[in-house]
Amino acid sequence: MPKKSTTLSVGLNRRTLLAGTASLLAAPMVLRPAFAQGKTVNVGVIMPLSGANAQFGINSRNGIELVADEINAAGGIKALGGAKINLIVADATSTPTTAGTVAQRLITQNDVTAILGAFASSLTLAISEVTERRDIPLLTMSFADQITGRGYKSIFQVVPKASVIGKAQFDYTKAIAEAAGAKISKIAIMYEDTAYGSAQAKGLRAGAQAANVEVVMDDAYPLGITDTTPLINKLRASGAQAVFPVSYLNDSLLIIRTMRQQKIDIPAIGGAAGYVIPDFEKGLGEFAENVLSVNTSNYDLAPEFTERFRKRFGYFMVHEAQEHAVALDVLVQAIEKAKSAKPEDVSAALRGAKFSEGWAKTMTGGAVQFDNTGLNVLSVPVMVQWRNKELVTVWPNDVAKAKAIWKS
Amino acid sequence: MAFIQAVIDGLLIGGVYAVISIGLTLVYGVMGIINFAQAEFLMIGMLVAWFAWAFLGLDPVLAAPLSFTVAFVIGWFVQGQLISRVLKAPSVAQIFLTVGLLIVIENSALLAFGSQFRSVTTWYQTISLSLGPLFVSVPYLIAFAMSLACGVALWWFMRTSWFGRAMRATAQNPGAAQLMGIDSALMYRIAFALGVGLTAFGGAVIMPYVTVYPGVGGQYVVLMFTVVVLGGLGSVAGAVAGGLAVGVIQALSALVFPIQLQNLVLFVVFILVLAVRPQGLVGASR
Amino acid sequence: MKRWIAFAIVVVVACLLPLALDPRGYWIRVLTFTLLFAAMAQAWNIIGGLANQTSLGHAAFFGIGAYTSTILLLKFGLSPWIGMVAGGVFGGVAAFIIAIPTMRLQGHYFALATLAFGEVMRVIANVWVSLTGGPGGTSIPFSPPSFANYSFKLLLPHTYIAIAALVITTLIFEWIQRGAMGYRLRAIKENPSAAEVIGIDTTRVKLQAAVISGALMAMLGTLYVQVAVFFDPDTVFSAAGISIRVALVAILGGIGTAIGPILGAFFIIPLEELMNEWFSSSAAGLSQLIFGLILIVVILWRPHGFVTVFRSLRAKFTGGTAR
Repeated sequence: MPKKSTTLSVGLNRRTLLAGTASLLAAPMVLRPAFAQGKTVNVGVIMPLSGANAQFGINSRNGIELVADEINAAGGIKALGGAKINLIVADATSTPTTAGTVAQRLITQNDVTAILGAFASSLTLAISEVTERRDIPLLTMSFADQITGRGYKSIFQVVPKASVIGKAQFDYTKAIAEAAGAKISKIAIMYEDTAYGSAQAKGLRAGAQAANVEVVMDDAYPLGITDTTPLINKLRASGAQAVFPVSYLNDSLLIIRTMRQQKIDIPAIGGAAGYVIPDFEKGLGEFAENVLSVNTSNYDLAPEFTERFRKRFGYFMVHEAQEHAVALDVLVQAIEKAKSAKPEDVSAALRGAKFSEGWAKTMTGGAVQFDNTGLNVLSVPVMVQWRNKELVTVWPNDVAKAKAIWKS
Repeated sequence: MAFIQAVIDGLLIGGVYAVISIGLTLVYGVMGIINFAQAEFLMIGMLVAWFAWAFLGLDPVLAAPLSFTVAFVIGWFVQGQLISRVLKAPSVAQIFLTVGLLIVIENSALLAFGSQFRSVTTWYQTISLSLGPLFVSVPYLIAFAMSLACGVALWWFMRTSWFGRAMRATAQNPGAAQLMGIDSALMYRIAFALGVGLTAFGGAVIMPYVTVYPGVGGQYVVLMFTVVVLGGLGSVAGAVAGGLAVGVIQALSALVFPIQLQNLVLFVVFILVLAVRPQGLVGASR
Repeated sequence: MKRWIAFAIVVVVACLLPLALDPRGYWIRVLTFTLLFAAMAQAWNIIGGLANQTSLGHAAFFGIGAYTSTILLLKFGLSPWIGMVAGGVFGGVAAFIIAIPTMRLQGHYFALATLAFGEVMRVIANVWVSLTGGPGGTSIPFSPPSFANYSFKLLLPHTYIAIAALVITTLIFEWIQRGAMGYRLRAIKENPSAAEVIGIDTTRVKLQAAVISGALMAMLGTLYVQVAVFFDPDTVFSAAGISIRVALVAILGGIGTAIGPILGAFFIIPLEELMNEWFSSSAAGLSQLIFGLILIVVILWRPHGFVTVFRSLRAKFTGGTAR
């Protein structure tokens, strides 16, 4: 079977090269087989590299490659005699079943120690059904509540759950408005009817209900909507004082532009995804200024790490890249701790322990710690605001880099 | 008032639906093939307009003729090399040839230009005209006007030019047209190239308010089918009526039903029209 | 008689093949999906091949089957085997309902109407959250391994179930094709008005074919999600991933023949996997691009499917030997 993948052949080259070096080094002591066992640790990376979420998948892969190269350059995994990380990247496409099949392939053909992926919750859930049955740790930054809500023992979610993010999106906004002396009593929610949109909307609703704030508009809209005018017409008629759109990029641009057309200038507080990537600002220019969005992490909290990403890839470190970087670094720390690359040992090392070195410091809690369900209990969402083409953390107060601007 | 606003929005957006769908119906009308890859030419038109904006500083609407030309050339080639070979094949082979084309075009774009979402910024894209309590979106208005101009030009071409008349003759009776000295193979090529060119033209005029990425065609493909079926497959005038109808149905359904059900309403209308009046709402019998 | 012996040999070989594969591995999963796609294309073949109605909406029935058995399992604790039968009934009913307005449509019109129907079902499944769980998707929960509960630790039993499903759908297809119904369907295909004249109730026959096809497709939906475990409305009601792909499998293999869908599935599904493995990490889109090119080439080369390759080979072979 001819293996023609470039990355794969690069991987093979690197591996043979490593094996060669290793045997040279080892030669004086003991004669070991040329393929010195444990000299590389295979890590599966399953991302949507084609289809509608490809951009996010590529961002994620960039973040992971950055960390892998840094660790390898610094001498690999010390506890395993300097073993190098070998990433096996695969396309999940946009079909969950394919993502599951790809996971099966990486496990059986590539003997991966762990899998990272796959941005979209539906893909991650499908992969988890395979990894759980084979006891392979799966580290993810997907938001869906089900990910750590099913009692699985080999899954690790480095970010808060969608319902928590949605609630923070509301709670933080209310706090920011109150700090600016404004009071919110009516809000509008609009979200795409995907797993991500509907789960986060549920959190928003819960937040509003707890605060006794009236939800005057609560509309799902189909994925791939080509005209948001009906939504904005409805928003204008609703009398909301703030709007919470949860969407990917396409719809986010349509929504903000149509709002500006109709001269609706109530604050828009985005739900991460489309609102926190460079293309959002590119598409809207000055109209992006001061748009708020909830986020699960932000690059300005740890510039000493994230600027390395900007230097290499030419754009700021988007949250999915940062969180996947954290996932890989935490995985490596767990391997160091377990002194083993066996999936079950790594799983055991991941659970319960607190990781406060390296990239783990860039998360809001300053560290990463997984509870019994695999959820990172230290992480809390943040609120970011567009300022001069950059995302600035403005809430919660203890981590904020600048004061939020609230215009209502 | 909400009703009038919805009708205005629906008509404006419907005009654009019409122009991107005319090509689909033209191809069917002339050679009896449904081109599942038609929406990919919309993507090509959008991409051309984006590059013209990014590198030449051209307004995407003004780049529309360029989009038309690029798609026309690609279409000319595609028809001559691929479509012409399956004109007599079973309809399943025709359908799946164009499905193959769809996959090839989308993924070529992904390989060549990456998966980025590209959008333009123009001075008028966040402006609207206020008529009392009503809003008329300027980018929609411009897109509508361009679509109208394009439709009129097509109508004029089909009515008055020799090519237009020859094409209509070929559509009605290829054999007889051939006997009259019309090269039907050439007519098919022109029809196909013209059809995809028009769709690409529509892609350019909507660029001020949409975002282009390799998979964007998928957002429009079912919409385009709905437009042409509503208007009657093969009828150009029908596509115009169908486009306006789809735009208005979408806008009005949002007043009554949850916006989430927008597509559902459209599909149900689509199936009902097919079941009750397969020749379309306005379609002349064919 | 010779055909049946050949058939039996193929089945026996098919049953031995999975034993050579890692029972929890990758290739057995690919093999299982390949077999299921072959069976689905065979079910499609009844309406698409025998009745000559190109359906692009079979995901509707597939998704109904997937959701029926899963909902019955989650809400009432019913075994997916029972769910499969219930799904088959619902799938047949759905096929009947959509067939009424669309049966008299032909060619492209029928294809478009069924495509829209598939999309209708997808939207409904996304919106009707209380029933389906909505866009968040559904997982089939772990349960202790038992045949009665359709729960297995390994993939191997799923592979054998898929083989059985393919054998059964193929036998049903052959039975229809050889029986009175196949005769009537052929008559309609050749000349609908002539068929009416000799007393064939064309609508009724086409309706029967549509219902059988839809019911089988729905039952296969249950089998499929037992292997995939997690699914959401966009997956099981997918126009590109299910409807069009199933039709594609049958068409590339050769529609209207029993062997066609099997050839098509064993060509397309492993090919997709290999291309994902070879190319997907280096250049996203390349594997799909090549896939599209192969599709175009095959259709231009063999508009009637791979099955014609074998026919012409056989003709050459028998023509070459003494007669």
